[in-house]
Amino acid sequence: MIQAQQLTKKYGGKTVVDNASFTVQQGMVTGFLGPNGAGKSTTMRMIVGLAAPTSGEVLVNGRDFKKSRHPLTEVGTLLEAKSVHKSLTPLAHLRAMAATAGLPVSRVHEVLEVTGLSSVQRKKVGGFSLGMGQRLGIATALLGDPQVLILDEPVNGLDPEGVAWVRNLARQQAAEGKTVFISSHLMSEMAQTADHLIVIGRGRIMADAPISEFIDNGLDQTIVRSADIEVLMNALNGDGVQLRRIDEHGVEVTGPDSVTIGRRALEYGVVLSELRPLQRTLEDAYMELTRDAVEYHSSNVAETGGGK
Amino acid sequence: MSEKLATAPRGKVSLFGVLRSESIRFFSLNSTRILILLAIVLYAAIAAIGTWGIGSLRASMGGMEQMPGMEDLAAPGFASELMGSGLVFSQLILGVLGVLLFSGEFTTGSAVSTFLASPQRLRVLAAKTILITVVTAGVQIVSSLLAFAISKPIADNYQMDLDFGSDAFQRVLWYGALAVAMAALIGLALGMMLRNSAGGITSLAALFFVLPIILSILTSITDWAQHIAKFTPDQLGMALATPSSVVTDLESWQQLLGVAGWIVLPLALGAVLLAKRDIK
Repeated sequence: MIQAQQLTKKYGGKTVVDNASFTVQQGMVTGFLGPNGAGKSTTMRMIVGLAAPTSGEVLVNGRDFKKSRHPLTEVGTLLEAKSVHKSLTPLAHLRAMAATAGLPVSRVHEVLEVTGLSSVQRKKVGGFSLGMGQRLGIATALLGDPQVLILDEPVNGLDPEGVAWVRNLARQQAAEGKTVFISSHLMSEMAQTADHLIVIGRGRIMADAPISEFIDNGLDQTIVRSADIEVLMNALNGDGVQLRRIDEHGVEVTGPDSVTIGRRALEYGVVLSELRPLQRTLEDAYMELTRDAVEYHSSNVAETGGGK
Repeated sequence: MSEKLATAPRGKVSLFGVLRSESIRFFSLNSTRILILLAIVLYAAIAAIGTWGIGSLRASMGGMEQMPGMEDLAAPGFASELMGSGLVFSQLILGVLGVLLFSGEFTTGSAVSTFLASPQRLRVLAAKTILITVVTAGVQIVSSLLAFAISKPIADNYQMDLDFGSDAFQRVLWYGALAVAMAALIGLALGMMLRNSAGGITSLAALFFVLPIILSILTSITDWAQHIAKFTPDQLGMALATPSSVVTDLESWQQLLGVAGWIVLPLALGAVLLAKRDIK
């Protein structure tokens, strides 16, 4: 479990993490979602004691991680793909990491095996692709079989097979009762992995809720078409129902779900040519939530003239 | 990638563990092997060439000890002190090794891994301090022994008095190791504070080669500069290891206090910064 209390980090005059309070529960995958530069990495660095909070505090399993006697077993961390000396081999790096905690060399070979790096264990890390560096980072995180797994953008640079593997790994670790905290700037990625979402924008926590709520809190919207659309509109008109004519035979209904609309059409004997629920995706919800909190806006290519 | 992972034993972090970890990484790096080899070869070569040069000069000129100003060549420990001629180069090369041991963490990003495995930062510093002290002092002892082994036949050939058990050679052997370990620890502190290899190495070189020049210029203008000049790390080291060649008016305890200062102060300052600053 990770508990952050009014966590704040300032660099110079710039507030990177702003009064963030949240709890990451064990036994589930918690997604940490936010645009680039929102403060995800800084927050993760503060959790594992690499960066000191300007104010506030964060506890891992009820303790300050900087005082941990069993750091690798307590928290497995992937912060950036290449946190390894370029001239080292994966084997030397992992053996050195294992040695700090007195973990056996057999464990090094286990994590090399599960991350698919056994064949390159004697190659220098400097020549690794982003994906291979990422695998080595994940191998390092898994080394101590940690209670808490913190992964910063773990699927960056991975091929589809690797992405699926990370997803399975996260789900499996959570199923074993561990705490899994994964950051991403892609909602689509989180939608497939996380049970719970914490959304951050410009250093502030914008939302903290089960992933289902991100889809369900919006009202249903349905596109309906019929030759007798006027009849149906009269039938639907009522409390909280919004109707918006989109063309001669079509209308956008906000409020009742498509089942209710279909039933009403049957009652009034209206033949429908189209009944289409508009899916409000997680992506839409995320964009809406962070629209004002995006650090770096991209402007329309046409407006900027496409460069000089 | 497969999915099942066995449960790992509970790993407790310890100074011994971090020391082992540091050693594994240190000796896996090519830069370590290159610098150590360079230090040994250069030191032994300077000693041997020095012995040969002086020996052949004596042989060709004959009885030059009697010439005014050349009395030193006949001093009892002279051949032994020749063994320490390359000391300042050993200090610099192995000092660079000290810089890299810490700056490499930050230039490659491996500091993140290091301090995740041992979040107690001063334990990492303790491990690095022990490692670099043992390795550089050890390397310097090997260098001195090799220098002796190569130079001994040359000295014998020219009837020069090079004696392993002599006080002069023992000073070169042990104080040389101390001087080199001091330089390596200064390097370690510079690497820790500057977090940058080029900056650390340049600062170290400036300390050993530029500072003495500046001080010698100042000495001709003011008096106090010569008191400072006695305490630069290269002067302290050479005066301890080769007292007849590099004369100082400092007492032994003053010299050793100077060495202790050069070891403790930079490391202490670096430790404070290491504990406070964020790891990038």
